[in-house]
Amino acid sequence: MPRNRTVRFAVLGSSVQRAAPYGFPSSRSSAIKRRIIVGGLVLVSLVLITVSFRSSALDGVQGAGASALRPFEVAANRVARPFRDSVGWFHGLVTARSDNKKLRAQIALYQQELIQDEGSVQQNAQLVQELNYQAPPSVRAYNQVHAEVLANPLSATEDSITISAGSANGIAQGDVVVEPTGNPDGTGALVGTIDRVTAHVSRVMLLTDDDSSVTATDLSDSNVIGSVKPGGASSTLILDRVPKQWPVHAGDTIITAGTLGDGPLKSMYPRGIPIGTVTSRSNSDADLFQNIALQPLVDLSSIQSVIVLTPPANR
Amino acid sequence: MDGLKAALVLFIACLLQLSVLTEYHPFRTASVVLVALLSIALLRGSVFGAIAGFTVGLLLDTATLGTLGVTSLLLTVAGFWIGRYGETTARDRFHAPFLSVAVVTMLYVLGQLTLEFVLGEPAPAGVAVHGVPGALLLNLLLTLPVYALARRLFPPLELGDRVREVRLLG
Repeated sequence: MPRNRTVRFAVLGSSVQRAAPYGFPSSRSSAIKRRIIVGGLVLVSLVLITVSFRSSALDGVQGAGASALRPFEVAANRVARPFRDSVGWFHGLVTARSDNKKLRAQIALYQQELIQDEGSVQQNAQLVQELNYQAPPSVRAYNQVHAEVLANPLSATEDSITISAGSANGIAQGDVVVEPTGNPDGTGALVGTIDRVTAHVSRVMLLTDDDSSVTATDLSDSNVIGSVKPGGASSTLILDRVPKQWPVHAGDTIITAGTLGDGPLKSMYPRGIPIGTVTSRSNSDADLFQNIALQPLVDLSSIQSVIVLTPPANR
Repeated sequence: MDGLKAALVLFIACLLQLSVLTEYHPFRTASVVLVALLSIALLRGSVFGAIAGFTVGLLLDTATLGTLGVTSLLLTVAGFWIGRYGETTARDRFHAPFLSVAVVTMLYVLGQLTLEFVLGEPAPAGVAVHGVPGALLLNLLLTLPVYALARRLFPPLELGDRVREVRLLG
């Protein structure tokens, strides 16, 4: 009997190898093989992160992959649409009564404002003609690319959506994205800007993204100029850098200010795109500017389609 | 054959996640991909889980035009870890899928935040942590049907097939 064959060694120190079983791939592989595979996958992931983050070398591959996936995503959207519509229909039934009351009050208010505005519009048109005023490009001057939303934000920390149009449709990085509505020009409130473009799929950076900042003004007072940035909570915005002397009231509509002055850097946003309404405003002695909170006019958490505004001059 | 079935299940889970769950705000925090992956990893082991996690992560990153590799890294580790748990202590335990999903849901959020922070991207911890209870609840609710389906597609292997090496402790 060998010297090392003690009871203690037999109980504590030895391992018994069973015959390699059939049918369980991971248990067939040895511990070393398992570690090599997992280590390799982690390493590949880290390399992918590094390359993807530091350069655009993988953009073509990713774009081709996204384009290949697009038909499946569109098909899934189409399949899910009836269910989504059903949910929306039932939700509409639940809120119909309160919505009706609220909308009737709004109609009465807007009818009064419309009468006042019609006079202002006529006066404005007359003055523009007499002064030969060259206004900055409005939304109507832009080309419109309609696109379906392929994926909304995947988690609470993400503020981007993927849409089914890309450079093949004339979209470029930085193009402005708005919501489609029933307005005469077909465009609605601001959603964000194009952040990343591939041939057939693009990513939109939403207004609530930390990197987003839009020069904006108050529709009722053009002296109020500030910068719309994401608020602390999700789906809220703030209007920052508005001096205290300019009054802003709850309920005011905030719109894009467009290009201000004659500087070399033009704003990517045409003037007059609605962004949100002021929900609260406060001043404190410690702050240089007002604290203005906004509610976006678009529900940025569930958008189904968008319009991308492409400047005609660039094409 | 298992690989093909897993690829199909995870691909459908991806489409469901991207096109259906994200449409409804209350369900946004749920991750059917994570639950499906963990179920498969529990039933088929660590290497299978790691490879499936890497592949499905790459698919998600490609579809959302995100930074390639971020989701792959997180899901590779999650798939491997839960697969290893399935190979060792979780054998035939009813609570194993629920425990796995609960723990990985929380760790996934933390991992995602850490990676975003390291990459210099916005990482609002408050928003992420605020969404954890909802994600936990929804993922646990998803676990029962998804695991049942996974168990039907990937029947558990015999006990003898799972354990190759044992250490005698007396």
